[in-house]
Amino acid sequence: MECRVLSIQSHVVRGYVGNKSATFPLQVLGFEVDSVNSVQFSNHTGYAHWKGQVLTAEELNVLYEGIKLNEVNQYDYILTGYSRDTSFLEAVVDIIQEIKKDNPSLVYVCDPVMGDHGAMYVPENLLPVYKNKVVPLADILTPNQFEAELLTGRKINTEDDAVKVMDLLHEMGPDTVVLTSTDLLSKHGDQFLVALGSQKIRKPDGTSTSQKICLDIPKVDAVFVGTGDLFAAMLLAWTHHHPKDLKTACEKTVSLMHHVIRRTITYASEMAGPGKKPSPAQLELRMVQSKADIENPSIVVEAKVLEKSSDQKR
Amino acid sequence: MECRVLSIQSHVVRGYVGNKSASFPLQVLGFEVDSINSVQFSNHTGYSHWKGQVLTADELQVLYEGIKLNNVHQYDYVLTGYTRDTSFLEMVVDIVQELKRANPNLVYVCDPVLGDHGSMYVPQNLYPVYKNKVVPVADIITPNQFEAELLTGKNISSQKDAVEVMDLLHAMGPDTVVITSSDLPPRLGDRFLVSLGSQRHVRPDGSRTTQRVRIEVPKVDAVFVGTGDLFAAMLLAWTHHYPNDLKTACEKTFSVMHHVIQRTISYAHELAGPGRRPSPPQLELRMIQSKADIEDPAIVTEATVIS
Repeated sequence: MECRVLSIQSHVVRGYVGNKSATFPLQVLGFEVDSVNSVQFSNHTGYAHWKGQVLTAEELNVLYEGIKLNEVNQYDYILTGYSRDTSFLEAVVDIIQEIKKDNPSLVYVCDPVMGDHGAMYVPENLLPVYKNKVVPLADILTPNQFEAELLTGRKINTEDDAVKVMDLLHEMGPDTVVLTSTDLLSKHGDQFLVALGSQKIRKPDGTSTSQKICLDIPKVDAVFVGTGDLFAAMLLAWTHHHPKDLKTACEKTVSLMHHVIRRTITYASEMAGPGKKPSPAQLELRMVQSKADIENPSIVVEAKVLEKSSDQKR
Repeated sequence: MECRVLSIQSHVVRGYVGNKSASFPLQVLGFEVDSINSVQFSNHTGYSHWKGQVLTADELQVLYEGIKLNNVHQYDYVLTGYTRDTSFLEMVVDIVQELKRANPNLVYVCDPVLGDHGSMYVPQNLYPVYKNKVVPVADIITPNQFEAELLTGKNISSQKDAVEVMDLLHAMGPDTVVITSSDLPPRLGDRFLVSLGSQRHVRPDGSRTTQRVRIEVPKVDAVFVGTGDLFAAMLLAWTHHYPNDLKTACEKTFSVMHHVIQRTISYAHELAGPGRRPSPPQLELRMIQSKADIEDPAIVTEATVIS
């Protein structure tokens, strides 16, 4: 398999977020990963302390310039995640547009990180950049409920709402949308959270249809960092192998997440000791230890295909 | 296996040198790798063009400070390679010394990158820093012949010279020395090159013993970049699994190098086409594709124990 990904994300010396979270699993699955580190921090910002340096938009352009001058700016995928800077995000958009002009089949996988649980945790002025410039270029989008609502201006209270929001997101750009988590009530009870996905499939006659799925995912009682980055990377990998089968791609991605998270929480609880809450350092994803699961995740979550599936004119 | 490595090396967006060369194979072998990127360049400097930014000694210190403040500065290994800046190198030494004070069992694996084929390709003022500060705190060093000669002030014209140079290097600090390549005449013919290793042990009764090995490695007609970084990382891994058996550690390390290099040169020739010399981008190590060899290298080079 010759598949090259350009991943523009954070680097942490210790732990697994951003490029540290995405690179190893993609490499294990045989993808060539070119990584631009948007920052270099000692560790993620959930620890008591964190220190480091950020890359400016200009420095990003300089790095891309180097790749271009050598004529090695050919990519099959681009992957981006957490960003805090509008000028950096806009420079990323310019780069993606340029690479897409050269290779229209390039797939841009975008995690539109803006916030969660009703609040933004990036500067507000990133929203218009995501809405007007980034999402229109994206092919695969992995918003959580809050981000999906923010981008579409529409609230999600029912499964129907979620379906409508995913269709709105399709109209903005991406043919594949996964709502990575929602507040919707799971049929399996409150130990589960509901995720949904929608993939627009264009038919030769110009019409399109979409496959919509939903997954009930076991909740875990802990705060993990870097899981969204791992999710987007693995969704990239599994949609690559199952480009017209979002059900299977999601089952593999969500199952792998489950294995990594379980392994992590077990280890963290062990490290913390009985009755103690594990620390951020102890909760770092057990990435390296999960290599076998990454390579071949056993399916532990089944996706359900939803009844409604829209047939629309293009 | 719970083993944490602090690797302070370059990062390139594209390709496999420095941390890009060392991290994936170590992670594949189950090591936790904390990586400090000393630079971020688009690609290695053997391409027609390269662009990027360097980390200053101050910025390195700031990153280490972050790790320390969180009380997570516990490492089993430190790994360093190519550096161009004396103040950066001196900061690295300070960090290694501090980490060693906290954990006397820490193993510092150092590739003392100074030059090759008779000339230095880093600034000259790095040489006294390596000689007087870095090598004395190293536990495992992987100099080539030129670097070994430079550090000891002694030329290598025979295997006997090489053994003496390795003993001199032991006296400077490291208990494990591997001269990764030399001009010594191979017994297997001129399609090979000779590498040597030496490992000093202290017996329970306090007396010293030294295991010395000689390995002859097939030459490949191409210039690879990042192979030294991969070598040092894999020597770290295999000496970890075989701490008292340099023969086996070297056989595994040299064998994995061979598999990666063969795969790389085959692919590069395919890309370049018949009769064409492959370009630097085409010669990037086929690292990802070599995962199985990294995990379990079939032994293709035997090390001979020499007296």
